[in-house]
Amino acid sequence: MDKETLFREISHALVEFEVEKVAELAQETLRQNISAYETITEGLVTGMKEVGRLYEEEEYFLPEVLMCSDAFNAGLDVVNPHLDKDSLEKPIKMVIGVVEGDTHDIGKNLVRILSGASGFEVYDLGRDVPLDRFIEKAEEVGSDMICMSTLMTTTMDGMKIVINRLKERNLRDKYKVLIGGGPISQTFCDKIGADLYANDASSAVRKAKELMGRA
Amino acid sequence: MDEKERLLNVLKAVPVDRPPVICPGGMMSACVTEISDQVGGGHHSETKAMVSAARAINERIGFENYGVPYCLTSEVEALGARVNIGNNLIEPRVTRYNDLPLETIMENYAPVDVTTGRMGVVLAAIAELRNNRVPVIGNVSGHISTATSVVDPLEMFKMLRRDPERATRFLTFISDYLIRYALEMVRAGADVISISDPTATGDILGPRNFQKFAVPYYQKIIAALHQEGIPVILHICGNASKIVDALNEVKANAVSFDSIVNMKMAREGIKTGLMGNVSTQLLHTGESSKIVSITRYALHSEVDIVAPACGLSMATSISNLKAMTDYVKEGSYH
Repeated sequence: MDKETLFREISHALVEFEVEKVAELAQETLRQNISAYETITEGLVTGMKEVGRLYEEEEYFLPEVLMCSDAFNAGLDVVNPHLDKDSLEKPIKMVIGVVEGDTHDIGKNLVRILSGASGFEVYDLGRDVPLDRFIEKAEEVGSDMICMSTLMTTTMDGMKIVINRLKERNLRDKYKVLIGGGPISQTFCDKIGADLYANDASSAVRKAKELMGRA
Repeated sequence: MDEKERLLNVLKAVPVDRPPVICPGGMMSACVTEISDQVGGGHHSETKAMVSAARAINERIGFENYGVPYCLTSEVEALGARVNIGNNLIEPRVTRYNDLPLETIMENYAPVDVTTGRMGVVLAAIAELRNNRVPVIGNVSGHISTATSVVDPLEMFKMLRRDPERATRFLTFISDYLIRYALEMVRAGADVISISDPTATGDILGPRNFQKFAVPYYQKIIAALHQEGIPVILHICGNASKIVDALNEVKANAVSFDSIVNMKMAREGIKTGLMGNVSTQLLHTGESSKIVSITRYALHSEVDIVAPACGLSMATSISNLKAMTDYVKEGSYH
């Protein structure tokens, strides 16, 4: 199997969430001395892009995306040890979490998975995250973005508080702030002065890359 | 026509003078901070406080029912998930999943007595609230939401595709357990059962998974309740427009939709009763004139029952909720 066919097969198997097959094909790329970087970008990431498209088109839903993400990780586990780290573009760093008072984390997890699969370096703070923790973690890891999610109207205002605290500490321009979740809208995003709103996980990743000039 | 007669008639598709305005309870709880402050807390775990809150919601806000409990966590807690009971500002929530293998959960928790613990408190509250005038609604979590609150939801969702047979065994176990609980609610005196399955939204599952992993279980619990002569309301969160046909198959007496669903379109598709769908965000932060206009839109869309669209924020004011209930009661329908 030549390189292009192999990448196509990897991408296809990933979209069909064939976890073992993706791992086997990744092994095959190593046998053929194909660079891990190419396998990741041409095979695995291409597959996840297709998954993102199917998700936005409502052909795939959460269960399917999660399965694909497992297939992605299975392939990544195989080739990652052979990756020449110097070949990598500096990843976009993102701190992500569900704001304090809310434990609904399905959407946030989906953003974490899809952004991780698109090469972001993701620091997941989990759910019910104390507001200052977003800023502390972003400072600690030198993050590019702070991403906040909530499903509840009661906890929405926590996002505004984080932005205000960034301003108070003269850190506002240091981070792009991305927000999302059930009750969040573009209007709310504009109102609290966040940088980006996305209404689903796949477009969140796409828009975040655009915002960082990596589209 | 009293509140009980009106709601039960609507659910039987018998004509009534006007649509009832209710808030069933469960995830759609009107036990907002103003109410829980009045009863002094304890409304999630003590019969007396639960009963007082139900009466206060009916009397002070004007919702035309009693509905208990005010969360979807008692049935989950009994299956080994850890729950933070919350307070007058924050609702109860699951803080830790049961991380035992599904087979062990099914074995260990098969004999769980649904009449003890917080479920027992709910049953006692229903028994105490039972009366001739105000309908008593018993609320139970749907099987998808229960399963994905007992164990890690992402693992459960993956299992639907990776190992559907194992997922089916677990969902069947959960569903049978919920049926037992719902039937105990009926025995205690519930006039109506409301099933809320927020996680079973078409947005998360998609139409195919919904058809396979949600519909048959709703059919089963609804058939069991119908056998007892008890009508059922089913609430689905999020955008349900792609699962309207599937919802007709479950044979609920009324289905309830989130605010994203256009009720005029839902009315065309839904063959059973329709409940909804005043935006809870609006009820929390909106002006009363806007609440009235959205309530009017729901009525013009020919909903059979007016209700909030989803779970209410605890910070929602009684006066905002009353703008909605007053409008339904005082509007002209003749």
